[in-house]
Amino acid sequence: MKKWLGALFALVLVIGVLAACGPDDEPEENANNSDEGTTESTDKPEKLIVWEDQDKGAALEDAAAKFEEEHGIKIEYQEYNITEMQENMALDGNTENAPDVVTMSHDGVGPSVVKGYIAPIEVSDEVLSQYTSSSVEAFEYEGKLYGLPKATETPVFIYNKELLPEVPETMEELYELTKEATNGDEYGFLAIWDDFYHAHGIFHGFGSYVFGGDNDDPSDIGLNNDQAVEALEYIHKWYDEGLFPSGIIGETSNDQMNGLFKQGKAIAVQNGPWAFKDYQDAGIDIGIAPMPKLENGQPVGTFMGVKGWFVTNFKENQEWAQKFVEFVANEENSKTRFDLTGEIPPLVSLLEDEEWVSQNEGAAAVMEQSRDAVAMPSIPEMAEVWDPLKTAVQTVATGKAEPKEALDEAVELIKQNIEMNHGGAN
Amino acid sequence: MSTKQSKIFRLTATYFIIAIMAVVIIYPLVWVFGASLTPGTSISSFSIIPDNPTWNHYKELFNPEESLYLTWYWNTIKVSVLSMLASVITISLMAYSFSRYKFVGRKNGLVTFLILQMIPNFAALIAIFVLANVTGLINTHLGLILIYIGGAIPMNTWLMKGYLDTIPKELDESARMDGAGHFRIFWQIIMPLAKPMIAVVAVFSFITPFTDFILAKVLLRQPEQYTLAVGLYELVSRQYGSEFTLFAAGSIMIAVPIAILFLSLQKYFVSGLTAGGIKG
Amino acid sequence: MDNVYQSNHRKIATVLSIIPGVGQIYNKQYLKGFIFLVFAASFLIAFWDFIDLGMWGIVTLGEQLPRDNSIFLLVYGIISIFLIAIAAIFMFINLRDAYKNGQKRDMGLQLNTIRGQYQNLIDSGFPYLMLSPGFFLLLFVVILPIIFVLLLAFTNYDLYHNWPAQLTDWVGLENFKKLFTMEVWRDTFFSVFAWTIIWTLVATSLQIALGVFLAILVNQKELKGKAIIRTLLILPWAVPAFVTILIFSGMFNESFGAINTTILAAFGIDPIPWMTDAMWTRIALIMIQTWLGFPFIFVMVTGVLQAIPNELYEAATVDGASALQKFRQITFPLVMFSIAPILITQYTFNFNNFNVIFLFNSGGPSIPGQNAGGTDILISWIYNLTMTTQQYGMASVITMIMSAVVITIAIWQFRRTKSFQEEDMM
Repeated sequence: MKKWLGALFALVLVIGVLAACGPDDEPEENANNSDEGTTESTDKPEKLIVWEDQDKGAALEDAAAKFEEEHGIKIEYQEYNITEMQENMALDGNTENAPDVVTMSHDGVGPSVVKGYIAPIEVSDEVLSQYTSSSVEAFEYEGKLYGLPKATETPVFIYNKELLPEVPETMEELYELTKEATNGDEYGFLAIWDDFYHAHGIFHGFGSYVFGGDNDDPSDIGLNNDQAVEALEYIHKWYDEGLFPSGIIGETSNDQMNGLFKQGKAIAVQNGPWAFKDYQDAGIDIGIAPMPKLENGQPVGTFMGVKGWFVTNFKENQEWAQKFVEFVANEENSKTRFDLTGEIPPLVSLLEDEEWVSQNEGAAAVMEQSRDAVAMPSIPEMAEVWDPLKTAVQTVATGKAEPKEALDEAVELIKQNIEMNHGGAN
Repeated sequence: MSTKQSKIFRLTATYFIIAIMAVVIIYPLVWVFGASLTPGTSISSFSIIPDNPTWNHYKELFNPEESLYLTWYWNTIKVSVLSMLASVITISLMAYSFSRYKFVGRKNGLVTFLILQMIPNFAALIAIFVLANVTGLINTHLGLILIYIGGAIPMNTWLMKGYLDTIPKELDESARMDGAGHFRIFWQIIMPLAKPMIAVVAVFSFITPFTDFILAKVLLRQPEQYTLAVGLYELVSRQYGSEFTLFAAGSIMIAVPIAILFLSLQKYFVSGLTAGGIKG
Repeated sequence: MDNVYQSNHRKIATVLSIIPGVGQIYNKQYLKGFIFLVFAASFLIAFWDFIDLGMWGIVTLGEQLPRDNSIFLLVYGIISIFLIAIAAIFMFINLRDAYKNGQKRDMGLQLNTIRGQYQNLIDSGFPYLMLSPGFFLLLFVVILPIIFVLLLAFTNYDLYHNWPAQLTDWVGLENFKKLFTMEVWRDTFFSVFAWTIIWTLVATSLQIALGVFLAILVNQKELKGKAIIRTLLILPWAVPAFVTILIFSGMFNESFGAINTTILAAFGIDPIPWMTDAMWTRIALIMIQTWLGFPFIFVMVTGVLQAIPNELYEAATVDGASALQKFRQITFPLVMFSIAPILITQYTFNFNNFNVIFLFNSGGPSIPGQNAGGTDILISWIYNLTMTTQQYGMASVITMIMSAVVITIAIWQFRRTKSFQEEDMM
């Protein structure tokens, strides 16, 4: 027994001594978060690691080659699903695989800044003037700029030219057309409004809003005001009369909507630019236009997402990383990107180029719609909005709750979750 | 005569119930095969016999230009075979020790691990990530294999120990009389007798890498390194643009070989599991 | 004094062995001493810095950013403790060896030759030798995660306390307090817990009942084609569950899945909201788990039934027992008695059955008033807390609570099994 006590004591002592010192005594261990060690940040790194969106790497190769030629820095890129960037940074950030540059949607800016993943950048006004001001603003967080735009996207009106020769002016007309077209397994206009990303256009069009202020005040939530209730009643109308099939709710609604449209069983859908190619490949002759106006004369204020390039905090090559960001997002490379992947760059020069606009119906429609669109809030609290709103729309759509009570409950839940998950802030 | 009638009635009822079970079991499997032949990416137009069936999804999977499926398949086979071999060896050795030797921790050691393993470790995935990173095993198949082996140990050792306990100890003793060493007894006497149980352990540890999509996703950082489960799960879990039909084709090519392997070894399952799990 | 001993070698050797190997060399066991010395030296050289960093890290969780990643340091700390423990065991063996051999010398006994030492090691160390690779893996794969979760429950690791923006800190019992005092946490916890229990009991009991029923059915002597029937009934087990669950998820889709469009339609039943109504999702999940889980029980019971000696039935027949009586008096009790030990493992398995819940509908549909989905069980909720909302601290607290439940049941169970009792007697 005594022997064990002695051993235990010795162990505790050793641990205690070890715990008392630490990296302060041994500065060489400080480098555990950077693989560069003593290298000065102004020194040229051998390579930069870039995280690109899935299936978009082709557009990066050309720019990467040119950058390497010019500066002698190799660009290594890795493709990840853009929605998983933050998850991956959480893991890889502290390892050798940490990226220098990532691409993200602008709604990831708030969380990424809070978590310290991305660094503010300083670029000249000349560079910024290439882009539409709304797209640059989407990358500002607490007064600092964090990235440069790569592409914008927002849901637009996509229709089957064979089934719908002319784009209706208003949602009212569209509603009537849909009523006529709905028959058995054939449908009119379809939208996955049970997903708040797609439903926001309606909510905003009726005068509701997500957060107060500049969409950045989480203490003011406008999703259960009278206008929001009206909006949800409007959405309910579409479900209630069987214009949207009941499968267009829940996890696979997007697949189901696409499936119907691609078989020519729906005259039109509301969807984003990522779907254009898929529809065309399915042999549908599609036309693309901004969303029709609502009855009250307001446009459908869809959510706009701006994808951008960001410099991370993980490496010490930030200066060079920023150079690469400026380079890859410049006019020439953005245009090449559009040609290769169809990602629509928010370049002022393109908007003003009438020839381009007439040749690229889809991109032009997205840009047109973007004028009425609202940039998604980029504060971390936004993460708590999606699910409750989805529930609210779904319970109303399936006739299980009244709009008012569903929205009140949703907002209550959003507030609770904000307190729960973000209350610890500061 | 009434007993004969009741017997006929009983058997008819039995066949009827089994027929219903057969439909319930086979229907989903036929359905997914149908889905794999459906053109397009979604199952919205789907009927169990597609209107214009196509092998395109299979072709796409087998085309390295279009999909990493073959890479994933190769990765999975590699991980599965290696973790199976290593698990069988480690588990046999451990089970033999627990069954035949006295040592510190014999009494409660195994049960403790068995119980500890029931603790869910999602919150600790990040710890495994850090461990792999620190040991340089991140993004390698070796790291994943080691974790699969570790995970397979408690339950399988428990089952195998139960099985080895049913092999009479007199066999060891007479061999020892004849001058056989520890290892020879293990290798030449015990192992051949434990074949059914080895088959069970082998199949279990072979299948794990085919079905794990969580650990592998955390440890393997690049699509080229993924195993099938991770890759296939990505296909259906994407919020926009999931490809159910492609997934269906990919699943068929996992499910068929595994089911065949499993069924061909089923006689071992009955003898191995009942001896290891019940009598143990 | 110790008149048995003629000298004081044992004490001198032990003291000298504080530097491992020196005592052995003093005992003139040069090779062994040399091996010990080299081993100890290489251990120190290889791990000293790491242990130093780890012990400092686990106590402080880091002091300055971005150098210190608290979570990495926490893991380093746990690994360091493992290393110290391994070193302590080695030290103990080393000291004891020096003492034992010194004692032999004191008593004037001949020490083992090198060959003798080797023989000795192989003989008494054989089980340890065989166990060590497995044990080593278990240490890192099973024990490390558990200690990590245990410690994490006392930290504030979440979205806002996370590298590189912030350090994570020890917060004591704060998380436990939050779980039981904050309304939304408490409500969610108890409602998820309740459903977890119901799920476990109902799904497991059904799969056991079906498995036992079918096994007895198929075991009837007169039945033809047993081999084929058995193969068929094992099929759900043979196909990886991961695949089947995703298939079912497609089949249960509300407007396009086979269940609603083909099967229910054939009986003239209206489509059922499998995915959007929590009640129906739960029913679907229980049915799916029954489908997935019965073959295992079926195989087990078949094994037991085949082992029941025929004489029992023959004797019963002689005594004039009816088929039903035979079943009630012989078959059923024997089966239940034999498979009782594995039944509990089936319940604990379903208690932790993440795959079916997560893959079928991601724990959804979401329901108002709680921050977990309507079919989330504790384990899938924990997954969401870590992967989606990064509430690691809270997730760990919940993990600890549910582990306590599972472990209690498991211990109670194992104490009753035969092999445990057999070990008890040793």
